[in-house]
Amino acid sequence: MHIPDNYLSPATCVVMAAAAVPVVAVSIKKVREEISQAKMPLLGIGAAFSFLTMMFNVPLPGGTTGHAVGGTLIAILLGPYSACISVAVALIIQALLFGDGGILALGANIFNMAIVLPFAGYFIYKLIRDRFGSGKGEIVGAAVGSYVGLNAAALLTAVEFGLQPLLFQTAAGQPLYCPYPLSVSIPAMMIPHLLVAGVVEAVFTVFIYSFIKRVSPGMIYEGKTTRTKAIYGLLAALICLTPLGLLAAGTAWGEWGADEINTVLSGGTMLGFVPQGMQNGFNFNAILPDYAITGLPEIAGYIISAVLGVAILIIAFKILAAFKKNKANV
Amino acid sequence: MPEWLLTSEQYEPVKDKDTFINKSILSMIGLIARIKAQDSRGRDLFGVNPVVAVFMTFLLVVLISLVRYFSFVLIVITFLILILCLMPAGDIIKVLRVSFVVTVFTFIILLPAAFFGNHLSLTLIPAKVFASVTAVNILAHVYRWNRLIAALRVFRVPNLLIFVLDITLKYIVMLGEFSLEMLYALKLRSVGKNTEKYASLSGIAGTMFLKSRVMAEELHESMVCRGFTGTYKTAAAWRFSFADAVYILMNAGILAVYIYISRG
Repeated sequence: MHIPDNYLSPATCVVMAAAAVPVVAVSIKKVREEISQAKMPLLGIGAAFSFLTMMFNVPLPGGTTGHAVGGTLIAILLGPYSACISVAVALIIQALLFGDGGILALGANIFNMAIVLPFAGYFIYKLIRDRFGSGKGEIVGAAVGSYVGLNAAALLTAVEFGLQPLLFQTAAGQPLYCPYPLSVSIPAMMIPHLLVAGVVEAVFTVFIYSFIKRVSPGMIYEGKTTRTKAIYGLLAALICLTPLGLLAAGTAWGEWGADEINTVLSGGTMLGFVPQGMQNGFNFNAILPDYAITGLPEIAGYIISAVLGVAILIIAFKILAAFKKNKANV
Repeated sequence: MPEWLLTSEQYEPVKDKDTFINKSILSMIGLIARIKAQDSRGRDLFGVNPVVAVFMTFLLVVLISLVRYFSFVLIVITFLILILCLMPAGDIIKVLRVSFVVTVFTFIILLPAAFFGNHLSLTLIPAKVFASVTAVNILAHVYRWNRLIAALRVFRVPNLLIFVLDITLKYIVMLGEFSLEMLYALKLRSVGKNTEKYASLSGIAGTMFLKSRVMAEELHESMVCRGFTGTYKTAAAWRFSFADAVYILMNAGILAVYIYISRG
């Protein structure tokens, strides 16, 4: 679901960024007010969970791959505003360090995955929990919320892709950016996400939620025990499992490189051309493109990338928490 | 009652510049605070023996300086960042601040090389600098200095050098406190415009020197009285812990990667 650069026109990117910035700003304000300094590092752990979740690629019908996001999980654990910040920071790290998702498209990616996903997921979770009470309602709410949240984000991504050929064309009528209209992009994104990725997201959310609820309830309810060691242990286990994400061959729908898109099959026909906007578009060289390290096997690169991403996220939020304390003292 | 007691007086001291005294006081306090803050450090790096940590850091720095592949430096940085993320926020900020300043400085110095077409060194060398500075800084921020000095003894560093290091640290604090008191005294006694402050400052330096000589002699005498022969013996028994094993394993992994990458 990470939209790479040059798939969206610069105009679309600007619009999406303009939509994302105010929401992120409000979230930062809310988090500053509501989250205590001691709880701030939990945002980093949430971001780390989301980062790792996104590394688990699952094969989807149609030869592409997809992944869960974990935004609803963070929203349930820490509130939707915290989830927005956590996922947004995870996305920024992915874009800058690992070239996953474009720099120009960052606004769109944040809007889809860090705003629509956690907020939609959280409100559905809340609705179900309030209707059916805690206990079973929580689990069902988490499952349904995360499923709907992920699919809402996927739908939005598909619409953003599908609008490109309608809005931006060369004089000859060839699409400038993403070449697939809504009639192709929506089914291509939605069918696999409805069938597989959404289920994976729901399973992930319920599994981690119930694990944390059992082991370290302090993360959810105030005043209960928090066992950071168990949480770190879970993170470490997830890091070790990330190479499973490599099993899924193929590129996610809408994440092809400029060299690949030429030969992508859709409805049995090859595209046969590279859209102009992609051929000579914006190009950013990430330090660890595609979570790979030159000279090392793919699996090692993947694990090291996971460690690096998780550690950077935890450090980032620890430092933010420290600065928050300094401000409160002055 | 005498007449002069009844008349009201208005004495406003002439403004004087004493920023330099304040600055000296502040930097002195900062230095002493840094050394004293070490006493509050309870745990070593997750229980890793300082001897192991010093040796492994040394190995890491050597490997970083030898390697010519960016990916290896990246792996080392990942390892260091992983250690950093388990440290308290205050220490993380202190370590990273130094690392970033030094890295940016190196980058700026190397910029001319980029204009001559050498793009590789522009990323590789700052990354190397970042890695080595962070590695050493983690060591300096996690361990108490006396633990590190004790660790040096295991590596057969001469007794004299350890003696000097050990005494220096202790006496920086003692002499620092001593001169701090003199600076306070100077500040308090300088009412109004005191043009002789600079002369007094050199007096402070001189007194400190004399005082340090007296203290050194007293120290030597008292140590001899207590039977000090000039050799340092580490009292703590060598205990190999689980943390040591993990730490050594991780470093061994890095060494293996180094060999693997250098071959390929």
